[in-house]
Amino acid sequence: MILFDHVTKTYVSDKKPALDNVSLHIEANEFVFLVGKSGAGKSTLIKMITKEETPDEGKIIIGGIDLEYVKKRHIPHYRRRIGTVFQDFKLLPTRTVYENVAFALEIAGMSNREIERTVPKVLELVELSDVAYKFPDNISGGQRQRTSIARAVARQPKILIADEPTGNLDIETGRGILDLLQKINDYGTTVLVTTHDANAVNHLKKRVITLRDGKIVSDQKSHGIYRLDGDNDGISLPQPGHLHPETYLDKGDRGNVPVRHKRRLIQ
Amino acid sequence: MSKMKSEARLRSMIQNSSKHFLRNVSRIFKYGVIGFGRNIWLSITATIVTTLTLILLFATVVAGSVLTSTADAMREKIDITIFFKSGTEETALASMANTIKKDSNVKTVAYSTSEEEYEKLYNDYKEKDNQEMLATLEIVGRDLMIQKQPAAMRVKVYNTSDLASIKNIVNNDEEFQENLHKSEKYAPTYDTNSSAIQTISSWANIATKGGTALSILFLIISTLVIFNTIRMAIYSRSEEIYMEKLVGADSSFIRGPFLVEAMMSGIFAGIISSIAGLIIYNALGPKMKAYEISVDSVNAFLAEPRNIVLLFLMLIGTGMVITLISSRLAVQKYLKRF
Repeated sequence: MILFDHVTKTYVSDKKPALDNVSLHIEANEFVFLVGKSGAGKSTLIKMITKEETPDEGKIIIGGIDLEYVKKRHIPHYRRRIGTVFQDFKLLPTRTVYENVAFALEIAGMSNREIERTVPKVLELVELSDVAYKFPDNISGGQRQRTSIARAVARQPKILIADEPTGNLDIETGRGILDLLQKINDYGTTVLVTTHDANAVNHLKKRVITLRDGKIVSDQKSHGIYRLDGDNDGISLPQPGHLHPETYLDKGDRGNVPVRHKRRLIQ
Repeated sequence: MSKMKSEARLRSMIQNSSKHFLRNVSRIFKYGVIGFGRNIWLSITATIVTTLTLILLFATVVAGSVLTSTADAMREKIDITIFFKSGTEETALASMANTIKKDSNVKTVAYSTSEEEYEKLYNDYKEKDNQEMLATLEIVGRDLMIQKQPAAMRVKVYNTSDLASIKNIVNNDEEFQENLHKSEKYAPTYDTNSSAIQTISSWANIATKGGTALSILFLIISTLVIFNTIRMAIYSRSEEIYMEKLVGADSSFIRGPFLVEAMMSGIFAGIISSIAGLIIYNALGPKMKAYEISVDSVNAFLAEPRNIVLLFLMLIGTGMVITLISSRLAVQKYLKRF
């Protein structure tokens, strides 16, 4: 579902590359943590997926689409297929919770009737029905992040990317957000979460990819005792040294990780 | 191979998110109107700045028109008065008028005999209710006054700066020399007044040309002010543009509501400035008239209801164009950046 093949990126102002020859493969329906200190290259990797940045070298294939061939005017269409959640929520301050979620559907040209049918269901999923008509400034941080998640999943994307979703929240609220992401994953969405918070990683025992100075330094299944710096016991997963991007283009959206629910996230 | 597959997938994506033009337009308008209300302080600021600009524009246009017609009226008032001996015959005056009319610079010639001049003087005093002077006239007596009163010829010219040819006629024509009033007091006015004539005339020219240049300058400056106001307003919302882009909104869908908001500011500013402009003009117009400033042309224009509608439409249109262009330029900057 997400494939990076020997991707290198150096920003104009920097000498050292932000991403240095990164290769990774995330299968459909997987839940993956991307861990590293600030400056390790997490944000750059995320921006590559949303096509805010383009790699200097290497190939990126998302959901069977080689990003090299996504033209500038088609970027909005491409982005609608990916849900994105941010540390600072990035909600529209002048629109209510309901309108923020509806916005994601409106830009895709969905009819008003469909929107009126879908949004309440999404808000119910993220447990925000009570505050639907409040503005982002008038709700708690956890609720804002739930709004952001609701907006991201309203279009039922195959991929959900969450950039430090618990970064601005206390541990308890953060766990609630992670549980929600787990729920979304259970319904078959591929979830990629970046964090530098060991609590978050240990709350869910998932695959953890660690970035340091733009390089992948470990890729393992967490036992729930992950430490940000230091030796981590876990099953080291084999590194995808020789990926063949062509084969992933053929696979498209299918993956090997089982989906727990047969139903769709939003009916 | 990889390119073809990627592009095929993209094409199907684009087809799926079908282009609902009307649906999008109605949403853009909805969010524009909502945005105008929810960003009310920014909207008010943009509207006020635009309103002030439009009032300034209105004032400049009125001032330009008033200046032009005042300048024309002033030119109209400039004439050369030539005095003749008391009792100069009307036939002689008529023949001299014909002589001077031959000069190409002469626009009109009017003459009056001693008697007519006296009547003019008398009526003038009467009109101004100058009892003292009327009493003096009474004491001296009508007949004696007419005997002393010189006959006069008033010449209006096209070009006040070139009076040499007229002077030449007055100084060299036999008939003129014979009849001219010999007293210093009644020498032809063009000698004593020419500098004043020059000054008034050149001021009128400067005012007409300067008025146009000033209007253009004002318009440019105020457009820059509006542009910067709207740019500041949008700068404070640049994060919004970024968010909308990340969620996958098309550029036109992001830009649209901003343009609708700008358009609303322009419309409101147009209406407010038209009303304010008319109120201010109605308050100042009579005062200007008291200072002998010619407001007749503006009054005549505003007398027609159709022209009032035209005024509203012009100001609303100008306001919309300025705000739309400013907004479009400002939004484009952030759309490109992200």
